[in-house]
Amino acid sequence: MAKIGALVRAAWLAALSYRLGFILSVSTLLFTVVPFYFVANALQPTMAGVIQGEGHQYFGFLIVGMMVVTVVTATLYALPNAISAGVANGTLEALFTTPTPVWVLLAGLSGYEVLFAIVRATALLLAAAAFGAHVAWDRMGPALPILILLILAHIPIGLIGGAMILAFRTAGPLSQIVLTLSVFLGGTYYPTHVIPGWLEGVSGLLPMTYGLRALRGVLLEGLPFAGVARDVAVLAAFAVVLTVASVLAFRAALKYAKRTGSLAQY
Amino acid sequence: MGAQQLPVAGTAGTDGAAPPIVRLREISKWFPAPRRWRELVRHPRRRDHVQALRGVSVDIREGEFFGLLGPNGAGKSTLFRILSTLVSADAGTGIVCGFDVGRDADRVRDVLAPVVADERSLNWRLSARENLRLYATLHGLRGPARSSRVDELLELVELVGDADRPVSGFSSGMKQRLLLGRTLLARPRVLLLDEPTRSLDPLSARRFREFLRREISEAQGCTVLLATHNAEEALHFCDRVGVLDRGRLIAVGAASQLAGELGGERYVLWVKESDPARFDALGNSGGAVVRRCGHLVAEAGGWSRLELDIPGGLDAVARVLDGLARAGVPVARCERQEMSLADLLEALLERHKRMSADG
Repeated sequence: MAKIGALVRAAWLAALSYRLGFILSVSTLLFTVVPFYFVANALQPTMAGVIQGEGHQYFGFLIVGMMVVTVVTATLYALPNAISAGVANGTLEALFTTPTPVWVLLAGLSGYEVLFAIVRATALLLAAAAFGAHVAWDRMGPALPILILLILAHIPIGLIGGAMILAFRTAGPLSQIVLTLSVFLGGTYYPTHVIPGWLEGVSGLLPMTYGLRALRGVLLEGLPFAGVARDVAVLAAFAVVLTVASVLAFRAALKYAKRTGSLAQY
Repeated sequence: MGAQQLPVAGTAGTDGAAPPIVRLREISKWFPAPRRWRELVRHPRRRDHVQALRGVSVDIREGEFFGLLGPNGAGKSTLFRILSTLVSADAGTGIVCGFDVGRDADRVRDVLAPVVADERSLNWRLSARENLRLYATLHGLRGPARSSRVDELLELVELVGDADRPVSGFSSGMKQRLLLGRTLLARPRVLLLDEPTRSLDPLSARRFREFLRREISEAQGCTVLLATHNAEEALHFCDRVGVLDRGRLIAVGAASQLAGELGGERYVLWVKESDPARFDALGNSGGAVVRRCGHLVAEAGGWSRLELDIPGGLDAVARVLDGLARAGVPVARCERQEMSLADLLEALLERHKRMSADG
């Protein structure tokens, strides 16, 4: 843990040194709440019937969707971006020559981006609450493990992107495809049951669909953990299966990179 | 064909010298050859390879300052990356402090540290102290032990006064010293340096080399492997050098001895002789074997410059001078000239080519 903490701390100090960028990255989030508030209120009469079972207020529905997209985007891209930057500036070579297990390096390199995304998502929720979003604050306890499971289900996709960079110097389209599909078919702006039948099948293949539905059930409907157990179980299954697949892919990529000499080559 | 091992390159067990801390045996490495699009389409399953290392074998003794020379693309960086466990060898074994670089990569990284000479591998937004603190943690140091080691190294690399400034404001020399300090955090027993002075001005480069020799090699007892194109580094700072050519280690020995073995010793004589036809005879006078007569340049006052390669040490030089005196040729000055690194490499490559052709 100390090694992961040290890498996260270094990334935090580096981010803090870009003062304007740091302030803007937090404050911009607050400004995005305002247009969402007005648009959601304008659409409330239309959407009220559609979002039954996932909160009755469209503003709250949208904000939870945006929160999860913020965290999932960081999770999908943190690792490929960190590996890509590390290869380009030579830090990866230096890190790989320390006696640190690879998984510790990967967790440390991507940790700051994911943690900072969680902070920004929390700020978004607090700002939305100030604008009148109905949030069941007493359900934060069960909401947290669901958010963690959502992250765990998306880290493997980022890991596969990282493996692609190690082996072929490109992250490939996987993260982008998953993010685009998740935003449009995972229930970010509208519930998945309004999607046409054949597309709903695609929606069922996305971890976001289950994570978002469970999170809204808990945070907006005030359901207990047991009330969203089915969605949580599917999310957990995604996390396990994808983790196993991505670890195998990353190991193969690492072996390939060591064999072809591309591990730390620009 | 293995490396030409000169007498000075004593190996463990034969001359009572320190035991080898790095032992390489028949290390070979192939990389996939880059292919054009057309070739990829025509022959998608074909795999072409280029051989980067060919059966490299060498022992490096504990505490030794070992230079690795060779033209670009000779395989120096590949060899260092194999030792650093960043690249896997396709054949052969590499042992560092008793650990196999392929099977015990984690243990090797505990005892061997490559100095990543690329300044960008430092975190420029952080201070020197924060950079060292991060890597100290990654090397397993915690709490007061970490702080004191960081302070110790800041002092060693002479950056105490700048420890809390962002690295972005450092000069190239300061960054190189910080990179070195970062590598020394875990007290490695073997240090790999790949052209560490290439981005330094001549004065900073000399200071850095002296620092390496004094503080790292002599005071800390670190074994240093240095890949270089720099003559001063190779000829004056290294105990021994190895020369790589197209992946093959073609010679190992003390640089001065290699130069003596290959090119003899070069002397410049200022003589008073107006007939160029006599110079070959003059050079060969006194019983010495003169391998090469250089250009003759007439100077003011009738003095001319005569370049001679005279193998056989000072006795041979004395015989040549004696021969000139007997022939009645006045000699104003006799200077010994050291072989340049380029000449040394050229001579080694030529010899290797000749020996390969002879079978």
